[in-house]
Amino acid sequence: MWKSIVYKEWLKIRWFLIGFTILGIVGIGYLFLKVQHGFTFQGGTSFWYNILFMGLQFFGFFKYFPLLGGLIIGVAQYFPETINKRIKLTFHLPLKENNVLLIMHAIGVVCLVLSYMLLLGVFITLSTIYFPSQMVFDSVVSVTPWFLAGLVAYFFVALIVLEPVWMYRLLYAMVAGFFVNIYVKSPVIAAYGPAIPGLFVLTILMSVVLLFSAYRFRKGEM
Amino acid sequence: MGNVIECNNLTHYYGKKMVYENLNIHVREGSILGLLGKNGTGKTTTINILNGFLQPRSGECLIYGENSQHLPPATKARIGFLIEGHIQYAFMNIHQIEKFYSGFYPNWKPAPYWELMSRLKVTPTQKISTMSCGQRSQVALGLILAQNPDLLILDDFSMGLDPGYRRLFIDYLREYAKAENKTIFTTSHIIQDMERLIDDVLIMDYNRVLAQCPISEFMTTFKRFDFELENDQVDLKNLKFVKNLEMVKNKVELYTYESKEFVQKFLENNGVGHKGFNQVKMELEDAFIGLTGKY
Repeated sequence: MWKSIVYKEWLKIRWFLIGFTILGIVGIGYLFLKVQHGFTFQGGTSFWYNILFMGLQFFGFFKYFPLLGGLIIGVAQYFPETINKRIKLTFHLPLKENNVLLIMHAIGVVCLVLSYMLLLGVFITLSTIYFPSQMVFDSVVSVTPWFLAGLVAYFFVALIVLEPVWMYRLLYAMVAGFFVNIYVKSPVIAAYGPAIPGLFVLTILMSVVLLFSAYRFRKGEM
Repeated sequence: MGNVIECNNLTHYYGKKMVYENLNIHVREGSILGLLGKNGTGKTTTINILNGFLQPRSGECLIYGENSQHLPPATKARIGFLIEGHIQYAFMNIHQIEKFYSGFYPNWKPAPYWELMSRLKVTPTQKISTMSCGQRSQVALGLILAQNPDLLILDDFSMGLDPGYRRLFIDYLREYAKAENKTIFTTSHIIQDMERLIDDVLIMDYNRVLAQCPISEFMTTFKRFDFELENDQVDLKNLKFVKNLEMVKNKVELYTYESKEFVQKFLENNGVGHKGFNQVKMELEDAFIGLTGKY
């Protein structure tokens, strides 16, 4: 049965996922084109100075990209379920309702994480060409919360899209904004280092928020 | 034969608006029950409660003895569900959707599905979203037939279908249900179709059930008498045996479960002058309107 669910979810999100990943790779390519540009036209010393002493995040351009991915995949996956209340078909499948949703959710998370890992891999590979390992490490520490923010966005999109009442959707959107902001607040490189384990735990805790909307839908909230 | 569906003392409100109170429904195994009612009388509400998409204020519905609010997967596998408007996963094509559903049902029988699909003039890669309403209805029906469920719950299957597709849908469905001893619980806005399909009828009005019996019994016991009153000021509407009365000037349509002799005798005994008294043969749609009124 889970293979069928994987199949359906893949049909919904495949082009969005592939499109987002390609866009991400192009974005990272652009990022390092700018790095190359900085080295070439500002000179290595000046560029290093800006990074080390002026707090320049050469990857700052990438900040909201994972967030965009979470939004795109979340909408692509859950919006089709709400058209004409197709979620009823999903709930009618011979599985427990929460299990169906959690399997769908896990598929979305796996796809998103694979895409993120690919992007992170490209980012790390290109970073090692230009920067020493300590700086690459700090950069990864800096971007990790942004990727977690993308997952949080995905979880809240699921909650918001499946919610039957608009008023609640607005409320959830405000809560989502509050939580996402936690992950993207500090502009200082590697500032989130000590907080990353906590952010991972917080992200995992938020992974099941969609069950609340599903519960409300099944109780007949319209 | 036992009951496949039993709803006991079902009560539901939307806010303060009562949909119904203490509604009792039972559907016999192997029978086809048609739930008829005007808009807003609670047909879709009942379907939603049966499928666990709505929690009733009180009372319960049992399907194969299980509370419909918490149906186990094995029981859900025995139920085929058609959503109003023949809704399906429209982002799939007919091959993809068959592949998707076949993974859930061990008794999946693809033959009836592909037989229906062979009649559709669609390309193998055409998405369901680009099909006509009639074509979509055949996809939805084909999937239910392939699922081979014991109980079919069909919410307004006739919606959006032209007469040809409606007839095809009904004939296919009835033949299938009777050949395989399936139970069907269905609603439809198009009453004339139901006569060809159902065994039992449940007619709902606002907040109450007007009739629940075999359709043959309903069609023989519920009658319409037409006559012209000599005095159109006579009030017959509130008589106990009169289920509905439609009056235009002095022309009367009287609907009742009583016999022709009873009504004639009543009119004579009470000095109600009239002429042209005759019983009018009704189709199910006439009887439905006769019982529920023309708004």
